[in-house]
Amino acid sequence: MSFVTLKVDEGIAERGQHTYITDSTSPVLPVCNVRTIPGDMTERGCAFAGCRGVVGGPVKDVIHLVHGPIGCSFYTWGSRRNLSDNPLHRRYCWSTDTQEKDIVFGGEKKLCQAILESAALFPEANAVFVYATCPTALIGDDLDAVAKRASRAIVKPVHAFNAPGFCGVSQSKGHHIANTYIFEHIVGTRELEDPTPYDVNLIGEYNIDGDLWVLKPLLEDMGLRIITAFTGNADYDSLCKMHCAKLNIVHCQRSATYIADLVRDKYHIPYLPVTMFGIEETSNSLREVAAFFGLQERAEAVITRELARIEPELNFYREKLSDKRAMVYVGAPRVWHWIPVLYELGMEVVAGATTFGHEDDYQKINRRAHDGVLIIDNPNELELEEVIAEYRPDIFLTGLKEKYLSMKMGVPSINSHSYEDGPYAGFTGLLNFARDIYKAIYSPVWKFVEGGSDRG
Amino acid sequence: MAEPAQRAVVINPAKICQPIGAMYATLGINQAVPLVQGSQGCSTYVRYQFNRHFREPVNIAVTSFHEDAAVFGGRKNLIEGLYNLVLRYRPRVIGVVTTCSSETIGDDIETFVKEARKEIGRGLGEDILAQVSIVPIHTPSYAGSHVKGYDTASKAYLEYLAAPGQPNGRLNIIPGIINPGDIEEIKHLVREMGVDPLVIFDISDTLNAPMRLPKPLYPEGGTTAEELKDCANSQGTVALCRHAGGSGAQYLLRKFNLPAVLGPLPVGVANTDTFLENVQKITGAVIPPSVERERGILLDHMADTSQYTVMRRAAIFGDPDIVSAVTRVVCELGMEPVVVLSGTASKDFTAEVAGVTAEYGVTPDILSGSDLFAFEQLARERKAEVILGHSKGVDMAKDMRVPLVRVGFPVYDRVGLFRRPIVGYRGTLELMDRIINSILDFAYPEDKLHQ
Ligand code: SF4
Ligand code: SF4
Repeated sequence: MSFVTLKVDEGIAERGQHTYITDSTSPVLPVCNVRTIPGDMTERGCAFAGCRGVVGGPVKDVIHLVHGPIGCSFYTWGSRRNLSDNPLHRRYCWSTDTQEKDIVFGGEKKLCQAILESAALFPEANAVFVYATCPTALIGDDLDAVAKRASRAIVKPVHAFNAPGFCGVSQSKGHHIANTYIFEHIVGTRELEDPTPYDVNLIGEYNIDGDLWVLKPLLEDMGLRIITAFTGNADYDSLCKMHCAKLNIVHCQRSATYIADLVRDKYHIPYLPVTMFGIEETSNSLREVAAFFGLQERAEAVITRELARIEPELNFYREKLSDKRAMVYVGAPRVWHWIPVLYELGMEVVAGATTFGHEDDYQKINRRAHDGVLIIDNPNELELEEVIAEYRPDIFLTGLKEKYLSMKMGVPSINSHSYEDGPYAGFTGLLNFARDIYKAIYSPVWKFVEGGSDRG
Repeated sequence: MAEPAQRAVVINPAKICQPIGAMYATLGINQAVPLVQGSQGCSTYVRYQFNRHFREPVNIAVTSFHEDAAVFGGRKNLIEGLYNLVLRYRPRVIGVVTTCSSETIGDDIETFVKEARKEIGRGLGEDILAQVSIVPIHTPSYAGSHVKGYDTASKAYLEYLAAPGQPNGRLNIIPGIINPGDIEEIKHLVREMGVDPLVIFDISDTLNAPMRLPKPLYPEGGTTAEELKDCANSQGTVALCRHAGGSGAQYLLRKFNLPAVLGPLPVGVANTDTFLENVQKITGAVIPPSVERERGILLDHMADTSQYTVMRRAAIFGDPDIVSAVTRVVCELGMEPVVVLSGTASKDFTAEVAGVTAEYGVTPDILSGSDLFAFEQLARERKAEVILGHSKGVDMAKDMRVPLVRVGFPVYDRVGLFRRPIVGYRGTLELMDRIINSILDFAYPEDKLHQ
């Protein structure tokens, strides 16, 4: 039994089973994907965030219309760095700006009107995605009915995503709802005109700070064609044709395995879970994908070329980062994606945590982490403070909110949700990743922080 | 192009939601924690906004509504949430910030807080309970923006905490949604006049904290609970932003008969003059030579640089009080405001700005409660040469090939601006430099500057 209780959790029984130390001889799984204790300073967001922000938001050529009061829309305007090459995308924020009278009398008419206006003002948009929020869901607005009506009027697809913030325990529920919706209403509605034997989808890749743009060429150089990424830099049309692929490659396995499962079950298209961070994992992933298509030689050529390109510079960082102690806390998959990458850089991982991990995430963490690593499910601010103070890692890989907490405590940190200066995926990304960690750790500022360690 | 008044869809809002305004105020209280009564998005998103603007961690807790709360209401969540928060953080003040969902459900917050207090007293002891003030703040976003949220909070805290006692000789200042640097500058001016400022919601230290180990649980500084109590005994109140904090000042006037001055935000020569005169009126203090010197330096600089500013067309957006003050500065610099937008609808914003611009014989398009989509259209039509507003103006500025001078909240794509004032004579100087240097950096032939 390797559960541990942090000091700040004494007296709060519910938190006991969320924290453990990895131990390969008797691995445990934490209580996870359960509700947050009220009064927590949790890092978790809402289902709407998972639906609008993570899965729906990256689709680049549609109008993302949030049906609710202004905050829910404002906060999701360009805040996640899911880049695209479409100027319409991320520049605009559409909202029905729900007012008191809408709450009292219902907001459906206004929503319908808003869809018609948006479509008229932005004729270049290829569809409209409408998102429910807590208040408009609570008053019972029927988004599906409005979407149907509006779609007939504008003669373009209008889709209603019903993932108000209160459903589920975290943003994870929103991922699921968005996956199911896109599968049921978008996938399979158009056919690929020129299918080839080498068509794939890259699922669970949101093009954070350009990740997709370094992964895509690797697959293409092996001779594959990507129909769509789900959903980084994706256009609406390509999502409709997802079912025409020969293989689905699944990167973020928390937010998007759902659709890979659904596509497999209905269209008999297999999928391959991969990690495309770090040399070893990326290489192995490319090899497995290649093996499926019989393209092993081309994969080896790509891998050899990339390694030759990055090795010299990478050696510098390896030397600088060797034996540095890291703590990593992000959504879920990047924790287990990155643990091997940190090892590959010669670093040690002392602690890890996920915001919304499920059991399978913790299984993967347990498989990949060495023994003796502290793991926390859905940590709150106080727990993080205790762990940072106890372990004093050399670097804390985490989101923006915790980054400033960490640095206030004298521990360097990089934004690991949206990255500092990414992309971080693939071979090119590994260099950026290592460089950003290096820059954080070796910044001369830490020499001046009394009580901090002089790392440079 | 349809104005949002006729449009159902809002495109590119220049306003945020009520709770963030209430939290902005709460974070200026010493050892205070906002507890968001709603789902996690409403707190996590807000934290993110603060983090990116101030580059600081912030303590914000949430009662984590899920389906059951949506159906049965948030009673259990709030009671449990308050209990856990007190157990773990021992805050002096908790602002219970409601959200659209809890207001839609119709949570009876006041009753829930009473029940929670009983539980806390029973479970953690009466002394611990006595240490914490729990203040409900009702902030449904479908009935107002972040500006209103701050205003609502200002009234809620004072109603709850302010209590009569001995006169303290101090001057209350309610800052509104302005930066730590602005608050520092206001304190400087008031102190130069020999008056002791009592800043209500003082974020100047709490959101601009040093790196010094070990990190305290709460950032140092902020208005203490005792000061919030004592502000009923000050000489009077100046709410720098009428729309954000005015209600607090008015409450103190009604209840304790404290003279109240609402705005204008002291940006620019005339507004700073007015501010100082108001302080003088309330306290009887005189404006010292040191402050007159600051004024003189500002005028000197305005004269030195008018070749760069006079006749330059500006478009301004943001919160009503800031925008109306910045519009006046722009006029004072001889620039021509062509579009002026308050993202938050306001009854008197239009008349106020029209009054300012009439003094200078210019006629901007004035939008109240409109969005940046409409603003951009007009800014293009009227060929604005510089845009003043927060970071959400960056795309239009790039597309229009004009500089964006960052003013307001949130500013996340430049560093350090929250530390620098735009208020007072010195702050106006800073703002002027920002405007002029942006213009020079952007589109000014270098050889014309070789003088
Ligand atoms: S529901 Fe209301 S309070 Fe919550 S983020 Fe949306 S607008 Fe703000
Ligand atoms: S109201 Fe609901 S959907 Fe909107 S941000 Fe808050 S939790 Fe998320």
